[in-house]
Amino acid sequence: MVRTKEDLNQSIKKMNRINAASNTPTAVGTQETTEQQKLQHQLQIFQNSLPKVSQTAYMLLLNECVPLSMAVEKKRGDRALNLVGNGDDEVSQTEGKLEGVHLSPPLDPPSNQLCRELYEADEEKHNRVLDRLRNIGFEIGNKVTELLVFSNNPNLHFKDMDLLSVMKFICRDVWRQMFNKQVDNLKTNHRGTFYLFDYDYKPIQTFALDSESSAKELQMVKPFLEITVGVIKGVLASIGHAPENVVCLASYVDRPEEKPRSSFTKGVSFHVQVTM
Amino acid sequence: MAIYSFWIFDKHCNCIFDREWTLISNSASGTMNSKQTEETAKLLYGMIYSLRSVTKKLSRDDSTNEVRSISIGKYRIHTYCTASGLWFVLLSDYKQSSYAHVLRYIHSHIYVKYVTHNILSPYDFAENENETRGRGFRKISNRNFISALESFLGPMIAQ
Amino acid sequence: MSTPTQSKSLKTIGEDTWKNKTEKVNAELFTLTYGAIVSQLCADYDRDFQKVNNHLFSMGYNIGVRLIEDFLARTALPRCENMVKTSEMISKCAFKIFLNMTPQVTNWSTEKDAFSLMLEENPLSDFVELPVDAMKQLWYSNVLCGVLKGALEMVQLDCDVWFISDILKGDSQTELRIKLNKVLKDEVPIGED
Repeated sequence: MVRTKEDLNQSIKKMNRINAASNTPTAVGTQETTEQQKLQHQLQIFQNSLPKVSQTAYMLLLNECVPLSMAVEKKRGDRALNLVGNGDDEVSQTEGKLEGVHLSPPLDPPSNQLCRELYEADEEKHNRVLDRLRNIGFEIGNKVTELLVFSNNPNLHFKDMDLLSVMKFICRDVWRQMFNKQVDNLKTNHRGTFYLFDYDYKPIQTFALDSESSAKELQMVKPFLEITVGVIKGVLASIGHAPENVVCLASYVDRPEEKPRSSFTKGVSFHVQVTM
Repeated sequence: MAIYSFWIFDKHCNCIFDREWTLISNSASGTMNSKQTEETAKLLYGMIYSLRSVTKKLSRDDSTNEVRSISIGKYRIHTYCTASGLWFVLLSDYKQSSYAHVLRYIHSHIYVKYVTHNILSPYDFAENENETRGRGFRKISNRNFISALESFLGPMIAQ
Repeated sequence: MSTPTQSKSLKTIGEDTWKNKTEKVNAELFTLTYGAIVSQLCADYDRDFQKVNNHLFSMGYNIGVRLIEDFLARTALPRCENMVKTSEMISKCAFKIFLNMTPQVTNWSTEKDAFSLMLEENPLSDFVELPVDAMKQLWYSNVLCGVLKGALEMVQLDCDVWFISDILKGDSQTELRIKLNKVLKDEVPIGED
C-alpha cells in the first residue's frame, strides 16, 4: 500500500512540475500534499474493497479483441461475397432448434493466425478492424468515467475540470484501473496537445515474434494499442469533448535508458490533440 | 553438477524445443532446435513414453503416479509433465536427484509467460493433421522465450 | 472418487492462489469491457444474436486454450480421473482463481458424465440489462462456454458446453451445462501403435 502511495505522489509531483513550469496555478504546498495523501490513501482502501477479477483474465479478454475483430471482418467479408445467399444463416438457425443436440459453433482460426492475417490484410480491411477496436475502446472509456466518478474518487471534481486535469485523470486513474500502473510521463504544450508515455505498456509486454523480425513484430503488435486509443477518446467524450474534436494516435517510442530492460523493446506514446 | 540438455515435447509427440550444451564451461556453447538433435529427441521421447505407459499400468487406479526421473549410468533424465500434454525434460549428471522445481519454474515463468501469453506465438505447434504424432517440425523460436531460458538455465549448467 | 480431504485442498488451492498469487483488476471494469465487446458484436452482426452467440463462443475458445496453461502453471494440478473431480476443479479452483467466484455444481446426469454450474454471481453480466430482442436470443455470457470448451479440450476432454438458462433472459437462475462427449486419446508417435 505504501509503495502505491509513493508511486502516486511521484506522478503527482511530476505532473505538478509540468504545471509549475508553465505557470498554471496548482497546489503544491506541503499542507495540501498531506491532505491529498490522506485522500489517496482512503481511495486506495476503498478501491481494494471492491469486487475483483484476475488481471490475467482481463488482459486475455482485452487482447483477444484484436483476433476477434479480424475474425468478424473475415466473416462479414465472406457474407458480402456469398452469392449463394443465406445458407450460413439457415445452418445456424437449425443448430439453435435441435433439441438435446448441442453442436459446438464453428470455431475461428487460432489467435496468432488471425493476428498474422490482420498484418497481411489490405489497408481497407486493416483499417476497418482498427475502427472496430477503437469503438470497443470508446465504449469502455465512455463508461469508465461513470465508474470512477461514483467510486467517490477525490481526484474528480468534474465541474472544475480543465483539460489538463482530465488528462491527468486518464494518466492516473484510468490507467491504474486498466493496467495497475500509471502513465509514466505526460507532456503538454498547454494548447490542447498532449503526449502520454507508457514505457511498459501492459497488454503487449510478452509479445514477440522470432529473433529477427523486429519491424514486422512492431507492425503486428500495433493493433493492440488501438483499444486504448478508443478509451482515451471515450473518456474525453464523456466529459464533453466530442470525438470529432479529438485526435488520438498511438505510436512507438524508445524507452529511456534509465528504465530497466523489459521484454518488449519499445514504449508506447499516445498523442492526443483536442480542438476546443 | 552439470546440465547437458533441455527439451520440451508437446502433446503431438513433437519436440518443440531443444537445447544441448556441449561445453560445461561455456553456457553459450552447443545447439538449439537443430536438426542434429532430431534423432536424440525421438529416442528420448520414446523412452519416456514407454516408461510412462508402464508406470500407468503398474499403478492401477492412482493415475497421479508420474515418472519424475530416470537414472541411467552417468545420466539422469528429469521430466515434468503437465496435464496439457507438455513434457519438460532435462538431462543432467548424477549429482542432483531432482530438478522438479527448475522444470516447474520454466513452465510457469518462461513457457506460460512468453509462449502462452504471447498472442503472436502459436499455442499449438502442429498446424495440421500431418504435423501430429511425432511428424511435426515447428519449434519455439521467439526471442523472449529463448533469452529468458538462457538466462535461467545458463548459470546452472556447471555448478 | 474424490475424498473430503481432496475437495478441501482444491478449495484451499483456489483461495490461496486468488489471495496471494493473483494480480487483480476491478470487476466492474471487466464487466464494462465485456459489455463493450458484446455491444460491438451486436452492431457488427446487425443484431443477429445467433451469430453473436457463436462468435462469443469462438472468442472464448481461443482464450480458453491459453488460459488452461496459465491455470496448470499456477496450480500444477494433474489430469482428473473423472468428471466429478473435473467439476470440482472447475468450480473451486478455476472460477475462483480467475473470476473470484465458486459456482455450485448440480444436476448430475445418471452416468456422471454431465453436470451443471449454477452461476449465482457473474462478473461478466453484473448490472447488465438486455433489450427485449436480445433477451429472447442472446446468451450474453456465452464466452464462458467457449473458454470451458477450449480449456477442457487441452486436457483431453471433449465436452459440449452450453447455457440452459440465464437471469438476463428473465429466467430464475443462470445455469451452464457441461457434458463429456469423450476422453480424447493421447497421441502415439507414428509407427508405435
